Amino acid sequence: MEHIPKYLLSTFIAMLLCFSSYSTIALAGDGPDEVEIDSLAQLYEPVYFDHAMHEEVTDSNCAVCHHHTLGTQIDDENCMRCHAESGATDEIACQECHPSNRFEAEYLNKIDADNTLYHRDKIGLKAAYHIRCMNCHEEMGVANGCQDCHSRTDAGNKFFHAGNYAPPESEKPAGGGH
Amino acid sequence: MKAMNRRKFLKGSLLGGAAASVISKSKNADASASFGGYPDTMGVLVDLTRCVGCRSCEAACNKEQGLPAPAQSFDELSVMDHERRTSEGAYTVVNRYEIPGQDHPLFRKIQCNHCNEPACLTSCFVNAYTKTPEGAVIYDPTVCVGCRTCMVACPFYIPAYSYSSVLNPVIKKCIFCYDTRLKFGRPPACVESCPREALTFGKRKDLIKIGNQRIKNHPDLYEDHIYGENEVGGTSWMYLSSAPFDQVGFDTDLGTQPILSYVKEFLTVVPMVLTIWPALFAGFHLLATRKDKQKKEEKSEI
Amino acid sequence: MNTLIANGKVPLAKHYNEDRSVEWSVKDKLLLGLSLSEYLAQAFRNPLNWLFAVIFTVGGYVTITRFLFGLGYVTHSSYDYPWGLFLGFGLFVMVPLSASGFMLGTTVEVFGRDDFKPIERLALLNGLLGYLFAVVFLQVDLGQPWRLVYPMFVSLGPAAVLFLVAWHVATYLSVQVAELVPAFAEWMGMPKLKTFIKSMILGLTIAGIILSTLHQGALGALFTYAPGKVHPLWYSAPFQWFHFFCSSIFAGLSMLIVVSTICKKTMAWRCDKNFLTNLDRLTIGLAKGATLALITYLVIKIIAVAHDGDWGYLASGWGQWYMLEMVAGVILPMILFTISIRNNLPGLARFAALIAVLGIALNRLNTALITFNWKLYQEIPHWREVMICITVYSLFIVTYRFILYRLPILYTWQKDEEAAS
Repeated sequence: MEHIPKYLLSTFIAMLLCFSSYSTIALAGDGPDEVEIDSLAQLYEPVYFDHAMHEEVTDSNCAVCHHHTLGTQIDDENCMRCHAESGATDEIACQECHPSNRFEAEYLNKIDADNTLYHRDKIGLKAAYHIRCMNCHEEMGVANGCQDCHSRTDAGNKFFHAGNYAPPESEKPAGGGH
Repeated sequence: MKAMNRRKFLKGSLLGGAAASVISKSKNADASASFGGYPDTMGVLVDLTRCVGCRSCEAACNKEQGLPAPAQSFDELSVMDHERRTSEGAYTVVNRYEIPGQDHPLFRKIQCNHCNEPACLTSCFVNAYTKTPEGAVIYDPTVCVGCRTCMVACPFYIPAYSYSSVLNPVIKKCIFCYDTRLKFGRPPACVESCPREALTFGKRKDLIKIGNQRIKNHPDLYEDHIYGENEVGGTSWMYLSSAPFDQVGFDTDLGTQPILSYVKEFLTVVPMVLTIWPALFAGFHLLATRKDKQKKEEKSEI
Repeated sequence: MNTLIANGKVPLAKHYNEDRSVEWSVKDKLLLGLSLSEYLAQAFRNPLNWLFAVIFTVGGYVTITRFLFGLGYVTHSSYDYPWGLFLGFGLFVMVPLSASGFMLGTTVEVFGRDDFKPIERLALLNGLLGYLFAVVFLQVDLGQPWRLVYPMFVSLGPAAVLFLVAWHVATYLSVQVAELVPAFAEWMGMPKLKTFIKSMILGLTIAGIILSTLHQGALGALFTYAPGKVHPLWYSAPFQWFHFFCSSIFAGLSMLIVVSTICKKTMAWRCDKNFLTNLDRLTIGLAKGATLALITYLVIKIIAVAHDGDWGYLASGWGQWYMLEMVAGVILPMILFTISIRNNLPGLARFAALIAVLGIALNRLNTALITFNWKLYQEIPHWREVMICITVYSLFIVTYRFILYRLPILYTWQKDEEAAS
């Protein structure tokens, strides 16, 4: 400890103090370390999402995934039009806003009935994950295949006619006639 | 003798003409009106910027419609190396298109577009197709004779025929999951399975607004056109693309007229012939045989 | 038959034999007044029958396989080309060539041109058999032929063009059968039946014209369902029906000239003086009708190109094919017919008729198969399809010949009073 220079220590303490005064901004490390996303329970095993690692990757810019809900600054012009001053909200987790029943009659009727709603085109939960995750993975050149994030269950293999359920080798074209 | 013949002739021609006109029916074709779809018809907006060609929709359709096991796994992406079309075992297929000037390909899901004024329905002489108020164009295999005119009529080349069946060959095509889902207000299987919501299900009129809003929000990304909004009279399944539509395998020469309007020109001729021909040819007969009758009269006078 | 006649046999043309000692029975009439061994001997002597034997053995088997193993076995099971040769040739080519029925029916009964009577029955038979075998081809092509009557009695789709075709062809077949009943009644000795039909003949003929106009036109209108698929030079939304109807006029007349020529050359023994001596004059007469239809057709075809502004397509490969079809199939026969009419050359008219028939076949095959899907790949029909077409067409020829040998079509049935004197 005695080898740490004084100027470094004081800078560190100052930063801590500065950051602690911004109570509306989320502190790094506030979010969960890991999130289990198991809405695809039938076809795929749950995803064990390393939240802590992704916080680091985004440089703690929560807006990359959570829009403005954690009070961090957004880039998207379309969002800025209305949400430039929007601060944090109560709903933070993806599933709290992105519905899992996006195309069921119940949800469709709900948005139909609400005349004041702007975000009629809000995507469902499954799409929210995939579009957000995959687009960034694409940009970052990280593994982006289906099974790179969640492996198939047996039911999934059956659904896709893959693995044990794969059809025998054949010269015939798959689907699509002429 | 002369009077007898005339009476017989008039009776005969009236009978013949009436028989022909009663037997032949034709729909009252109003050239100006066009059916824009039922008011609350559902639809699907296919956003090609979101599709990554995972083929989950093909797998979901195969399961939902009880289709035969495919020749290759739905995981096999090399099937997209050549352009496919729908077939008796695949109501929907995803094709891959390399876009010049773009570093990544675009994927397009092909299935029945559930037109507002379907050409298949128009052309079917046993009324096997129905456009339901929910928007689906469904098919009744119990009346199909197998004439395959619908396959000729469909501008999108969608209906397939189960040629392999000996005793019950029928048309095979996407029915918007009507029997199992749409009827109950639920989205079709492909929509539910798509991980990236490339397929957005909702009321057709809302989807047009959504499509336009997406174009407005991202003008550099999208082509400023919703394919299917007006093509061949409008379709329930519509498309957004980031590349010109003809580069993604769409036929951009279809025009906005439903296929029926090309046929209406003939359909209006039908009642004209039925009403005019009897009198016209009876008239010709009278003109042509006038001299013979005169000669007969002269002979009988002598 | 010629050998037999040279040896003294007289072709059966009345109810009794030459010296009134024997009244011909139905069996006798069927065997042309020959004994069974004589009949079979003359059949075996005919080399054409050997060809038919081969065709029916091989082709008959292939036709049966269509029904045993399904359409997938005899066609390419194409989704993009749902219609092949069965419809392309069997329906779309054969139906216009069978338009002779309503043409001559109209000429004789409606326009009162009794000078065409000698050839009227041949025209009616050509029409009837052509339509009958078009239906046979249809039954081979339909996925579920046992459901043929569905558009009539089970589930009607009246807005469809094919609905009209189905109803009209069915009704028109009945009309044509009725028009030929007099010939049948004479042969069978049923005078009352003949009188009954003759009382309705004008009504039947006018019904025939109405039905023919509409279904010949409707066959063309079927292609209006596919504006993007048929090449623009062969496609015209407003005029397609008229193209097919107008071309069916000269198709029927030309086919009649061709068939009557074949009859004269191969069955002269069966034709009587009334037929043979009038044939050249009638041929020129038919040529006149055909020429009028040809020029009308040519003009409306050009108008259709102008109407849609398709001139640009003429410069392409397809455009050259189109011009070949028009020159060889329309303009050439028209010129040859005109020369033959002006110079009274029935032989030239016959040649022109043959070219016109081939031109019609080319036009229909172009519209239905060759220029269909012009933007896609080309498809050659399966060899089994070709085999079945040859087989059914051979059956058509054999049936045609069977009836011509027997019924008073090419000859006049001698009434009993005449025979007695």
